[in-house]
Amino acid sequence: MKSALVWKVIARCSTTKARVALLTLPHGNVDTPVFMPVGTQGTLKGLTPKQLEELGCQIMLNNTYHLGLRPGQELLEEVGGSHKFQNWNRNLLTDSGGFQMVSLLKLACITEEGVNFQSPHEDGSTMLLTPEHSISLQNSIGADIIMQLDDVVSSLTKGPRVEEATDRSIRWLDRCIAAHKKPDSQNLFAIIQGGLDPDLRRKCVEEMVKRDTPGYAIGGLSGGEEKDIFWRIVTLCTDLLPDHKPIYCMGVGYTEDLIVCSALGIDMFDCVFPTRTARFGNALTSTGTLNLKTSKFSQDFRPIEEDCDCLTCKSFTRAYVHLQSTRETVGCHLITIHNVSYQLRLMRNIRNAIAENRFPQFIQKSFKDLFGGPDRYPEWAVNALKSVDVTLLP
Amino acid sequence: MATFELLKTTEHSIRLGRMTILRNHERKILNTPNCLACTARGSVPHLTPDSLREIPVEALEITLEQFLDVQPPPSSLFPNGAHKFFNLEEYLLFFDVRDPGELKKIPFNTDKFASVITSQGIRKITPDDYVKYVNSYNPEMFASLSDTITAESPSPKRIKKSVNRTLTWLDHALANIKEGIHVFGAVVGHDNHEERVRSAQETANRKVAGFVLNGHDLGNTSKERLDILKTSINHLPKDKIRIAYGIEKPADILRGILEGIDVFDASYPSKMTSAGKAFVFSLNNDKWDTDTGCSQHINLLEGQYRTDYQPFIQTCKCYACRNHTRAYVHHLLNAREMLANVLLMSHNLYHYSQFFKKIRESMEQDTFLQFAEQFLQRYGEEEYKNDHEVTLENAEFSINQNKTEHNSSF
Repeated sequence: MKSALVWKVIARCSTTKARVALLTLPHGNVDTPVFMPVGTQGTLKGLTPKQLEELGCQIMLNNTYHLGLRPGQELLEEVGGSHKFQNWNRNLLTDSGGFQMVSLLKLACITEEGVNFQSPHEDGSTMLLTPEHSISLQNSIGADIIMQLDDVVSSLTKGPRVEEATDRSIRWLDRCIAAHKKPDSQNLFAIIQGGLDPDLRRKCVEEMVKRDTPGYAIGGLSGGEEKDIFWRIVTLCTDLLPDHKPIYCMGVGYTEDLIVCSALGIDMFDCVFPTRTARFGNALTSTGTLNLKTSKFSQDFRPIEEDCDCLTCKSFTRAYVHLQSTRETVGCHLITIHNVSYQLRLMRNIRNAIAENRFPQFIQKSFKDLFGGPDRYPEWAVNALKSVDVTLLP
Repeated sequence: MATFELLKTTEHSIRLGRMTILRNHERKILNTPNCLACTARGSVPHLTPDSLREIPVEALEITLEQFLDVQPPPSSLFPNGAHKFFNLEEYLLFFDVRDPGELKKIPFNTDKFASVITSQGIRKITPDDYVKYVNSYNPEMFASLSDTITAESPSPKRIKKSVNRTLTWLDHALANIKEGIHVFGAVVGHDNHEERVRSAQETANRKVAGFVLNGHDLGNTSKERLDILKTSINHLPKDKIRIAYGIEKPADILRGILEGIDVFDASYPSKMTSAGKAFVFSLNNDKWDTDTGCSQHINLLEGQYRTDYQPFIQTCKCYACRNHTRAYVHHLLNAREMLANVLLMSHNLYHYSQFFKKIRESMEQDTFLQFAEQFLQRYGEEEYKNDHEVTLENAEFSINQNKTEHNSSF
């Protein structure tokens, strides 16, 4: 199908499956592997678009379900889309809305037609989100990358329901492609389903690759499944998916996950974690998380991270952020700025390490900094990295 | 070294002034009339330092009671002072124990200490500790500790004691403060005419850099409040700077300036922000540059702004007005997103400071009285009518959840 992106691989790791690429989208370039922060309701948690730009963010997420509720499709159509509405001139990616239906709404029920869910109007009525409707909404929002509506089942689900969801996701992809009105300016990504079953994943990849979408996402993971199974599904998918298109692993955002999945060949990530945890006072650092709400930071006059060049670390001490984080929104903003900056810096470091062909050494050092010592390395990460010839344990 | 020059003054109490503070070869200026940006735990509410720097404020007030839950406050142990700790190096800092935006009800003060309300409950602060903390924070200016009365209808005896105690604490501050930190004398006397005069005269006899008057809890209307403060102001020397708290609305500020107040607290922009409101009062007499008639602010939660794609004020140069629409802020408020407050605060504080700039310019051009008259004619009535409006509206934010509109497209 038509594509509104250019994908150019710039460097490949000689050991792992990692690669550095330049993804050119309608609203500018994106360097991958990339972490995309989540601005659910058309705003990234208290940060101005200017601050986000200054942090070097090239692409952000918006959630279709939330924007469909408010400000609503009609208004977005009238304004000319979400970029204009929030004054964000760089790239946007929207999800299909399906995940929120299933995760936020208890009474969602999925049929061949679409996702039936209880209306948030509290009047007892039900509403239906179909693949056509999801794409129509995403066309109005106008994101540079849009996602197909998929039949999401929990990664803990077993049995025939998983196969049904996989087959239905393939059928829904066809309906999404048919409904997509703006393939010249918006890139529709397919979402690989198939639960934790390698055969279903294989079948799904095979079918979806036939549809030739501009990029592919790996869905149905990060739902509480065992990490040792998670990485095996990820690496299976990256093995099977075409090499000349971007691959996006949905809902991944922890430092170790980003490093491992980059090594397994993933190009794009998103997660609410860094911004959500900031609102609880947690600052991310390369040696672990600091909970700045705890009083032990009240007289700590060091920056959150010594070598971090974000506004927060350049301007304030941990003691100040502690003082603010317990009560004032500024405390939230400062930690959010730092955490987004941390994630973007981590990805930049990953890209540089791949480009300079020292990614395995980078992984080894990052794990040592993050976990302290080999006895604390998560086993799944050790196994995953071993599969791409990186040894974490001596 | 601190100097206060009156650049232009008339019998109508017009005072176009400039305070210059020279410390460590660094000159900082506060042009008056002006406002002190108010802070919550040392930051202007909702604004990170980059956003604050888009707003032309010259001085900030820092409220010590917000740090007194633990003593000594950990931030006072920072070795390089408040400017550095709060990342406010280019600004003039003014410290006071109490919040200029509201007077919290306190149990009682004694000769040895004043009571303060912190987030962890009631705490005591002694005059000794206060000066010690201020010495460590090292701001350019601070208000001496006052024996504040928050009880209703205090007796003349209590008021007299408050004046005496406040003077004793002022003498203590003057004797113990480090060089380079300028003491502002707290002028008290509650609503007692004689005691207000005595407090003003006695404070004026001391080597203070200026005066602080707290108007909170005095009188039922802003007019009564100003009348009470006027009693003190009439007995203050003309050549020293006067700061007043609790005179907040634009029309009241114009009246306050006519009574001889130089500096006001800028807690009003924060209060409006918390209520989801944006200032739209016009700063241009000849050509009203807003579309909102006699309203001085708009409530962005109202449905009419859902599809209003203009900035708060078309001609405003603040970050929010240059980049965002009323419709977007309406959406952010409905979605309970923090960026709503960031944008409202950016605009409200910016516009408030532009109001003071306009006042100073009109004084320079000898058109202040005309500006004030026209402004009061347009907006003054509303001010007097709705004196308690803001406090009521502060409750709105928690309630408006129920008003959230759903505009589903599904």
